[in-house]
Amino acid sequence: MFKAIEVLQPNFIERPLNELWQLISPLYKADEESWLKELLPLAKPTDQELKEQTDSAIQLITQVRKDDDSMSMIDALLLEYSLDTKEGILLMCLAEALMRVPDKETADAFIKDRLSVADWASHAKNSDSFFVNASTWGLLLTGKIVTMDENKDGTPANLVNRMVNRVSEPVIRKAMNQAMKIMGHQFVLGRDIKEALSRGKGYRDKGYTYSFDMLGEAALTSDDAVKYLLSYEKAIESVGKDTYSQKHRPTISIKLSALHPRYEVGCEERVMTELFTSVKGLITKARALNVGITIDAEEADRLELSLNLFEKLFRDESTSGWGLFGLVVQAYSKRALPVLAWLAALAKEHGDRIPVRLVKGAYWDSEIKLCQQRGINGYPVYTRKESTDVSYLACANFLLSEHTRANIFPQFASHNAHTIATISCLAKQLGATSEEFEFQRLHGMGDALYNHLIKENDICVRIYAPVGSHKDLLPYLVRRLLENGANSSFVHRLIDASYPITDLVDHPVTTLESRKSLANPHINLPGNLFDDRKNSFGPNIEIESEWTPFKAKIDSFMGQDKQWRAYPIVGGEKVETGNTHLVQSPYDHSQTAGQLDWADANTVSKAIDLAQAAFPAWSAHSASERADCLDRTADLMEDNYAELIALCHREAGKTIQDSIDEVREAVDFCRYYAQQARSHFAAPTTYIDFLGQDKQAQLKGRGVFTCISPWNFPLAIFAGQIVAALVVGNTVIAKPAEQTSLIAMRAIELMHQAGIPTDALHLLPGDGATVGAPLTSDKRIAGLAFTGSTGTAQLINRTLAARGVAPVPVIAETGGQNAMLVDSTSLPEQVVRDAVHSAFASAGQRCSALRVLFVQADIADRVIPMIRGAMQEQSVGLPYLHSTDVGPVIDKKAQTILLEHIEHMKSVGTLIAQSALPDFADKGTFVAPTAFEISSIDQLTDEKFGPILHVIRYKARDLDKIIDTINCSGFGLTMGVHSRNETTCARIANRARVGNLYINRDQVGAVVGVQPFGGQGLSGTGPKAGGPHYLQRFAIEQDL
Amino acid sequence: MTIVQPIQVKVAQATFEEWDTLGVNGRAEKLQKSLSSFTDEQQKMASWQIENAKKSIAETRVMPGPTGERNELSSQGRGPFLCTSFFENDKVTTGLVGQVFTALIAGNPVITVGQAGQDIMDKITPYVAEGVIQNIADSALDSLIEADHLAGVATLCDDTQAQQLSQRLAAKQGLICQLIEETDIEQLSTIAKPHYILRFVTERTVSNNTTAIGGNATLLELGSMDD
Repeated sequence: MFKAIEVLQPNFIERPLNELWQLISPLYKADEESWLKELLPLAKPTDQELKEQTDSAIQLITQVRKDDDSMSMIDALLLEYSLDTKEGILLMCLAEALMRVPDKETADAFIKDRLSVADWASHAKNSDSFFVNASTWGLLLTGKIVTMDENKDGTPANLVNRMVNRVSEPVIRKAMNQAMKIMGHQFVLGRDIKEALSRGKGYRDKGYTYSFDMLGEAALTSDDAVKYLLSYEKAIESVGKDTYSQKHRPTISIKLSALHPRYEVGCEERVMTELFTSVKGLITKARALNVGITIDAEEADRLELSLNLFEKLFRDESTSGWGLFGLVVQAYSKRALPVLAWLAALAKEHGDRIPVRLVKGAYWDSEIKLCQQRGINGYPVYTRKESTDVSYLACANFLLSEHTRANIFPQFASHNAHTIATISCLAKQLGATSEEFEFQRLHGMGDALYNHLIKENDICVRIYAPVGSHKDLLPYLVRRLLENGANSSFVHRLIDASYPITDLVDHPVTTLESRKSLANPHINLPGNLFDDRKNSFGPNIEIESEWTPFKAKIDSFMGQDKQWRAYPIVGGEKVETGNTHLVQSPYDHSQTAGQLDWADANTVSKAIDLAQAAFPAWSAHSASERADCLDRTADLMEDNYAELIALCHREAGKTIQDSIDEVREAVDFCRYYAQQARSHFAAPTTYIDFLGQDKQAQLKGRGVFTCISPWNFPLAIFAGQIVAALVVGNTVIAKPAEQTSLIAMRAIELMHQAGIPTDALHLLPGDGATVGAPLTSDKRIAGLAFTGSTGTAQLINRTLAARGVAPVPVIAETGGQNAMLVDSTSLPEQVVRDAVHSAFASAGQRCSALRVLFVQADIADRVIPMIRGAMQEQSVGLPYLHSTDVGPVIDKKAQTILLEHIEHMKSVGTLIAQSALPDFADKGTFVAPTAFEISSIDQLTDEKFGPILHVIRYKARDLDKIIDTINCSGFGLTMGVHSRNETTCARIANRARVGNLYINRDQVGAVVGVQPFGGQGLSGTGPKAGGPHYLQRFAIEQDL
Repeated sequence: MTIVQPIQVKVAQATFEEWDTLGVNGRAEKLQKSLSSFTDEQQKMASWQIENAKKSIAETRVMPGPTGERNELSSQGRGPFLCTSFFENDKVTTGLVGQVFTALIAGNPVITVGQAGQDIMDKITPYVAEGVIQNIADSALDSLIEADHLAGVATLCDDTQAQQLSQRLAAKQGLICQLIEETDIEQLSTIAKPHYILRFVTERTVSNNTTAIGGNATLLELGSMDD
């Protein structure tokens, strides 16, 4: 960690660029306490400075509050409908979705869903704003109408209400749409750049200028990217022609993720060529017209990619010598300060000044959530608001320093009066003139603050103004608003006259230093997400400092010189049977991962003998002792992370992220079941029986368990079944899938290393006939856990039942015909992203993968082309490359079945799209992601376990019929739902007979202990793996 | 060969969703009304199963995890259950009552068999919707065991009978039909255990991305919380 204070030394930015670059990435998830201790001295004022800053802030706030017109309409709206109220959230929900709903039925149902659960009356006449009050009365009236109970008595008032209910739905819909248009009008400066320029004249007369942005969702398809590019070009042309005021010319802000459908680190090559060309074109045009360009900030994962692209563009001849090509830096990022230092050095080296907009950051909660989901042990952002404010001031101190401002033109974006006053004071203290920096604010927010600032100071204030159709922009803007948490924001409190000014001018350094800890103790690090166990760790492959060293470790197992040799392991001994098989890599059959000996009948018999003999001793261990073995197994798996990932690549053809998720799941299974065993198996439970007598019962192991696992989760499911059986006290014989026995052998070795006795756990690789059949027909087998096809589960069940002994538990997880239901309130971009991921990730070889997408007919013509476009962007290729989205399928047999299905579907369905295969596809077993439109789920017989998606249009009124049809299939594993209507979601959740239902997200990637996984009906027996009832099924409950 | 599916399974399937949707407490309310019709020991058994269900499966469990998503685990019935006994005496009838009440409180429609089943059905029928509990004659037992869509069989039997039944159920196509056997007909050591109910349910996880439209209320609250 570098000494932050050193950035204030003028020669700091004279260091080699590469040296400064190296400071950025390691701070990605730096320890918050340590790093903030470095930053605090940069933000901490002297007593004199503190007094000046505080007085200045008090003066500014006092002036603003005196002003009757201090509140803009948006300010007023957010004050009344604070986002910490139900009404505020519901209003935003309506604004986000209503305008895009094309059909009346769904729109009416959505309005009813949103308006009927809130207390609109409490807001009536609270606000001084006409706009807010008008909205409130509208919502109140509408809410009353839609919530009427038709069964109430027939009083005149109710009678009238009922009549209104019958006739008024079109009126309500129209009124609500009108209200949303008004809201859109407030948030968006213009529906096109012409309107924006026209509407902006009033503010420009006051001395403001603008940065326009054609905001919206990120592009998912090349068509979307082209559309955005054209829109930016038009905007540049219009602004270039604008002659209204030459003092501070408007600029254009560009969102890179709108200009390329795969603006991701994994697609760096495309970004640095295709996207580079697009942006260079914009720069050339903008430069010719003297319109400055600012690159907007994106999520933390893309920061390093953005900087790389920026550098390439900045160094390009099209930009050289211009000085109006800038970018946005987010102060909530722990990497902000070294990024600024690197930019200053880049500018100094090149000789052109870089405009830099310093913002606090717009994706805070999604950054935190993402890290928690991915198990990234740290956060890229600060966990306290005041820490971000401290970082902002530390960055400002650097930006306003004499040696920096010669190279960077700082643009301070904030709506916080204290921040603005402090920056103004800081500028004066550091000798920066008003020509050497500017302020920025959002359209519709902070008017009064900046009106006063402009009046009092000759300084440029730029308004960041969204431009575009209200329908397209509202979802995006609402998300940003909600994510910024206006309830705790300064804007809210500034205009709330009851809030004491003295509380608004606390310096963030003072506030932060008064905390017991600099990091927020209420936001656990991802590793500590669970109270009772450690969360598994996952490296972030998008971040250089995380991925580069991790990849180097994996690479050491990726060469052909590294070959694994696997055998049956019985009693801890590797048994050479002579029945040796080569293990080919699914992506290239000329490459091998190793060799494997299959078990024979003698080995099976010996393993059962030993396991049977070992049962008394192993089951006599305490649950805690057995659980300790599982915890050690988990740690060993993390210690051997790289090798396990390499095996996932080479033996199973898994992509990088899939392989990481695989190891994480296995680790989570170990720790979760260990914790469950300690909670439920350590001591007897006391209960009162039905006759009122006190009893004690103890859960105990049953004997020898057989665990038969599939190739699609060769480590996670394999390990999950085994450790569950073991921790309960059973001994285990494991039969892995014949395709993925190398990784299975490594897992068994690690389990033995962790202390699981070698006679309690045995590995028998081989096929069903050689190993599966003798293993399931032996009378000593006391239970079986199986994951695989429904047909095989039935066969095994028959074999077990035929043994002539007491029935034993059969825990089977089997197939599915998984559907996703999408209604017209959903956001198409989210739907397509989640559907494509659910259907094609892992080459569709997940039990949970999406097979049938039901799209409401009213939006199908929008959604289906987007699916086509997104599929064209899918990269099928070598699984160990970061650029690969879809790897191979497991083997030739699987490939043949899938290709035959594709051929069949070509004759009965309509091809939507098929992703391209790589040139080398013939070397392995690849199947191109393919989507068909079909008319009915009845056209499908059984599950096709691969990257094939079927799309069906349905009418809104037929939703229940669709659910019935899905239920009738008998399968019940996963289902996805995309809808903004909570009533619809609840209705589907109540009616669908599925084990795992996912709402407004993808439907794959269940997390152990968080989303217990397993189906019903033809999809499995239960209980759910990774759930609180799983272990009990491996045990017997005995009275003591 | 065309297999004629017993009408009772179809009726049970038709009523399943409504019965299951009532939830444990809703079903308990109805089933409790029937308790007074049973003998003292049967009543205790039935009541115990209801209370055990309330304790162990009634609540939807909110699972821990990342902020910005809500993960809930709940239980549902599996579908039509056949409850039967190969023996007849007071203890066995108590066990059969235990099976029936466990299957019902878990959310499943139940089909009983013969006179013993008829007696139980008659006591429960007035308080539940039509089809929630049905009875068949002994002679229809075989065809019901063979029926498609039978989710499970709960039975009091000996070891040999359990093996035979297990083989018959395993031989069927379709879903793996659960066999929940009680072979200790003196002590009812399986039926009257806290975890017995879990065999009658299937679990459902609902994962809701609560930040789909933006805004993570939980996190924002944590972010602005005082120490």
